[in-house]
Amino acid sequence: MKRAFSGDDVKMKKVKLEEEDELTKGSTGSVYLDDNLLFEVFKHADARTLAMAGCVSKQWHKTSQDERLWELICTKHWANIGCGNQQLRSVVLALGGFRRLHSLYLWPLSKPNSSSASSSSWAPFPPMIGSKPTTRWGKDEVHVSLSLLSIRYYEKMNFNNRSR
Amino acid sequence: MKREHQHLLPNIVDPSMAANSTRGGGGGSSGYSMAATTTGKSKLWEEEAQLNGGMDELLAVLGYKVRSSDMADVAQKLEQLEEVMGNVQDDISHLASDTVHYNPSDLSTWIESMLSELNPSPNFDPMAAAAAATPPPQSLDDSFWTPTESSTITSIDFSDSSRQHQRQHKNSMVFEDDSSSEYDLKAIPGKAIYDQTQHTESSTSREAKRLKPSSGSNTDLLSPSSIGAFGVPTESTRPVVLVDSQENGIRLVHALMACAEAVQQNNFNLAEALVKQIGFLAVSQVGAMRKVATYFAEALARRIYRLYPENPLDHSFRDILQMHFYETCPYLKFAHFTANQAILEAFEGKKRVHVIDFSMNQGMQWPALMQALALRPGGPPAFRLTGIGPPASDNSDHLQEVGWKLAQLAETIHVEFEYRGFVANSLADLDASMLELRPSEVESVAVNSVFELHKLLARPGAIEKVLSVVKQMKPEIVTLVEQEANHNGPVFLDRFTESLHYYSTLFDSLEGSVNTQDKVMSEVYLGKQICNLVACEGVDRVERHETLVQWRSRLSSTGFSPVHLGSNAFKQASMLLALFAGGDGYRVEENNGCLMLGWHTRPLITTSAWQLANKTGSYSLS
Repeated sequence: MKRAFSGDDVKMKKVKLEEEDELTKGSTGSVYLDDNLLFEVFKHADARTLAMAGCVSKQWHKTSQDERLWELICTKHWANIGCGNQQLRSVVLALGGFRRLHSLYLWPLSKPNSSSASSSSWAPFPPMIGSKPTTRWGKDEVHVSLSLLSIRYYEKMNFNNRSR
Repeated sequence: MKREHQHLLPNIVDPSMAANSTRGGGGGSSGYSMAATTTGKSKLWEEEAQLNGGMDELLAVLGYKVRSSDMADVAQKLEQLEEVMGNVQDDISHLASDTVHYNPSDLSTWIESMLSELNPSPNFDPMAAAAAATPPPQSLDDSFWTPTESSTITSIDFSDSSRQHQRQHKNSMVFEDDSSSEYDLKAIPGKAIYDQTQHTESSTSREAKRLKPSSGSNTDLLSPSSIGAFGVPTESTRPVVLVDSQENGIRLVHALMACAEAVQQNNFNLAEALVKQIGFLAVSQVGAMRKVATYFAEALARRIYRLYPENPLDHSFRDILQMHFYETCPYLKFAHFTANQAILEAFEGKKRVHVIDFSMNQGMQWPALMQALALRPGGPPAFRLTGIGPPASDNSDHLQEVGWKLAQLAETIHVEFEYRGFVANSLADLDASMLELRPSEVESVAVNSVFELHKLLARPGAIEKVLSVVKQMKPEIVTLVEQEANHNGPVFLDRFTESLHYYSTLFDSLEGSVNTQDKVMSEVYLGKQICNLVACEGVDRVERHETLVQWRSRLSSTGFSPVHLGSNAFKQASMLLALFAGGDGYRVEENNGCLMLGWHTRPLITTSAWQLANKTGSYSLS
């Protein structure tokens, strides 16, 4: 299942599955996809598609929240920060998960921003355009995002403790 | 905080009110309450004028007796005099010796006699004089408001008696005389200076505050803050065009400077009069300028009336304020990120690490460091943290609470964590032996201080002691974050001027933030610093900021050598700012291995890193 599918293939696969299921289900009119199958399909979606897919139905929403999917999206295109996958996974999941990491910090960093960096000789990584199919995150984006995730977790901890 | 104005009024000074006001929370709905106090103040102003026998108060303090109702007239005549003196062809030195004046404090009569000496023609046309003397305001404004990069303000010469009339005068005279020196407003960066688009808004707000409504033609005349503009009928003939609140902005700055100088010279009568005027002028502004002026006015008033702020603050209140400051603007985050990067790089390859934090507060700096250590290739080291903070007034062990939270975090990310909290009134009370340090082969030490070391400069010998204790700790790295300003000079006026610029810039940078509650609390946080800086002296004055150059020389002479922060720190700081909403004006700069965060062209805070000088082979961080 490691074949790289393109967007069109995904749609084709979805359509084919829908047709098959409609045949089996008859006249119910609703599409039934096994959760695992949905997961396998979603594995090949990019961030935007996955997020939009989460708005379709309860089942799709539940599946699209799966951390493993977002881990794939985050790590596929970011710079190697040197630590092992398991190590990364345990830390990030503890601090709030890959989905939050992506939506709160990685995604905004990959959008084009109007504020320009300082004009000294160390210019930061140039902002990527969000409409490109693959966005790469450099070492610094990754570190800043992880740091901010940990701070957010700590702040939420504060709040919980105060309310005790 | 805006309620502080109450105690600037002479008859209403109430120590208990002033004491309570330090606890005031956010600004709240200050809109209509401002108007209420304004009308209250203007009535008081009128009463005051009556009290002095109708004489203008400010001039009276300086020795001149001019009736408030005559002010406009006197001003006009001075204009005429200046015009005539400028035009006269013959030698006028005879005026100095031949003319006899019997009552020099009566400015009005003096001018009359001067005019009659100089100008034989009795029907001097005031209209023509005024018209000739009024330069077109448009071109003036351009020359005034071009933003420049210089940040000096020239000192104002008070011994010059001509200054008095210039201050009370309508704008035309003022702009004509002073090309650049006295009205050099390049000193105030950013949006603290009003631009012309705000013209209409401020003129309506001014009109709402008019003391006595005069005839309709006075709509473009100067606002109530000018002493004596009590709707004198002669004013309607003057075709003076105003620059409204920009003028007030100028006056405000000058009033602030004048008041500071008066305080320096222990001329408290003048200072008192001025501080009241500042109060009025401040409300005519909006935005950053208003707030800065209000805080500085309050601080000056405290200094004049000796109502010193209670010291120290309740720590939980201070924590709340600092949290809001943390959220509103990137300064603290920048400090933490850059310091953490330096510490991380210094700890590379070490198995056991120990951070000693002089600025523990809420411990906001450490989650990010622990996360970075957790994700280190090869696994995290054992992390030990020693937090040092002031005692809590309610005897709660808040350092321990912070430690507990961090321990919880460490557990979730599987980092071996050890914590110790130390309560100390001052860092100078510390000793290396108290900290139970392990040998440096076993445990590597980093010392971190964010906005704490400058407080030690209040006590002689304290900073030297602390630096020697730091040396005893044998740290791999010492990270230092401080404000980039010299607020510790020996002369009060210099400190005042410097801090006025600094905090104006700082408040400007806050203006862009979206969350108003955060913003207000941040302003209160900064306002406390301003208050301490201006109103306190001696051991109480702890906000003794110094520049990078000063810290560099101090640390170098004590046996530390600089460590250059690398491009990682720079890039991460830039990225942090890119993510940060609310201001395109932030700039990260590198300065000889140190990183500075500033607003537009003005650096505001600096992060630097140090190691012991006798280390063999100093290294740069990647």
